[in-house]
Amino acid sequence: MIKVKNLSFSYKQNPQVLSDIQLEFDQRSTAIIGQNGAGKTTFVKLLKGLLKPNAGQIVVKGQVIKEQTAAELSRTIGLVFQNPNDQIFKRSVLEEVMFGPLNIKMEKSEAKEKAIEALRLVGLEHQLDINPHDLSLSEKKLLCIASVIAMDTDIIIFDEPTIAQDSNGKEKIRRIIRTLKEKGKLVMTIIHDMDFVAENFERTIVFNQGRVLADGPTREVFSQKQELLRAKVEPPYITQLADKLGIPGTILTIDEFIAKYHSVK
Amino acid sequence: MKSISLYVNRNSFVHDVDPITKLIYIAFAILVPIIVPSFTISFICVGISLVLLAFAKVLRKTVPVFSFVFLVLITVVIIQGLFKPENETVLFQLGPITMYQEGLLFALTITLRVLTIVSAFMILVLTTKPSELVESLVRKGMSPSIGYMIVSVFQIIPEMMAAVSTITDAQRARGMETEGSFFVRFKAFLPLMGPVVLGALINTKERAMALEVRGFNSQVQKTYLYEEKTYAYSRLIRALLLLAIAGALVWRILS
Ligand SMILES: Nc1ncnc2c1ncn2[C@@H]1O[C@H](COP(=O)(O)OP(=O)(O)OP(=O)(O)O)[C@@H](O)[C@H]1O
Ligand SMILES: [Mg+2]
Repeated sequence: MIKVKNLSFSYKQNPQVLSDIQLEFDQRSTAIIGQNGAGKTTFVKLLKGLLKPNAGQIVVKGQVIKEQTAAELSRTIGLVFQNPNDQIFKRSVLEEVMFGPLNIKMEKSEAKEKAIEALRLVGLEHQLDINPHDLSLSEKKLLCIASVIAMDTDIIIFDEPTIAQDSNGKEKIRRIIRTLKEKGKLVMTIIHDMDFVAENFERTIVFNQGRVLADGPTREVFSQKQELLRAKVEPPYITQLADKLGIPGTILTIDEFIAKYHSVK
Repeated sequence: MKSISLYVNRNSFVHDVDPITKLIYIAFAILVPIIVPSFTISFICVGISLVLLAFAKVLRKTVPVFSFVFLVLITVVIIQGLFKPENETVLFQLGPITMYQEGLLFALTITLRVLTIVSAFMILVLTTKPSELVESLVRKGMSPSIGYMIVSVFQIIPEMMAAVSTITDAQRARGMETEGSFFVRFKAFLPLMGPVVLGALINTKERAMALEVRGFNSQVQKTYLYEEKTYAYSRLIRALLLLAIAGALVWRILS
């Protein structure tokens, strides 16, 4: 769905943030991980057309995105910003969510329907008239997710959706990601919560200092201890525990661990 | 935090002089030519300022400012030289255009006065950080709240510009066209203003709280961020400047 060729980028005169990235994205749900400042947010902003590459090319669904404006691209790619305060600018929850659908020329009634449906998905359907700035951080983040989901794009990118979420909120996000995947959408998520990665994503890409250090099925990536160490990424605790106990293969979840444990015993 | 200021970071004795002395210098450069209305004195004042700017290695930075000032002043010279009502003595004629002495002299006086003011202010602005200036005023007894207000003014414009780009990104990320023809950009401009102003207000509220929790209003003696500049000859310079102003006054009264 997305092809990235020889992509390089730097902010103005500053040092290179991304160097020569080659990636292809298919339907698999994908996690992007890597230490702070590795260039993850910058990368997805480039995909979204908010930044322009210094070199290289990005092709989304067969179209070179250089030829489209960010606004045109928003029918295909949705991005939930890392910082909700950067994304929210309307004065009520409902208006905020309806903003996107109205811009891609949906009828008002349809836009409202989509908006309420998306708000129901994140559990904010009872706070339609509240000013977004009065919501808590976790609710703001959920609002941002809803306002992107309402646009019903084929590709959805989350930038750290689980920040500030308790286990309830994480469960909501887990459900949302699963629902979107079932609808055949490409879900891409930048995230620091490795348990969440192990449990929810088929593919994992490790960024390190503006380059792709590892890329593949999540299990495979979490078995590459050297690379993870270099990227300063810790595998999930359960994976580390299984490894230390000498359990063969790479364990990703508690359920897997228990199954393996019983079979070994 | 970015800040709009013309401050240029260089190593020079002009930079080392404390802001208060520079303020006194401005008073000197403005007052003396007014008290002693002679071209020579005005020329000397402009000359001193230019020399100081050169020593501060910021002469090049003054070019845009001076060019703008000259543009305005040339209009003054032409208009006064040609049309001032008191014009009598013909200086020269170019076809139908007659230049008069009275108008020209008057315009020259204005020009010199503006140049003395601009060049003196330039010394302060180009060689002093706004925050440093404010801090030294606070040391001299200005209320810290007013000081903070002044510093904020220098920061609010870059902050608003950053807010504009953030909100624009949020809008185009969700399908609002902000790129392209002038008309498109103009249409995108209006929906921007609401959030930018509102955001600035929210920021203000949060900043007030942030200041509060960090003891901005506490009554105890504050420690200053910058070390007080103590240029060796500050006192001497200040004394000389004040003496010059007083001298000019005395001369004026006696003559
Ligand atoms: N607007 C900007 N201007 C200049 N430099 C920037 C800008 N945004 C980010 N950077 C720099 O680019 C580098 C990559 O930043 P980026 O936000 O892409 O990292 P990240 O992987 O998303 O990190 P995090 O996990 O902390 O979100 C960092 O060194 C950052 O300081
Ligand atoms: Mg980031």
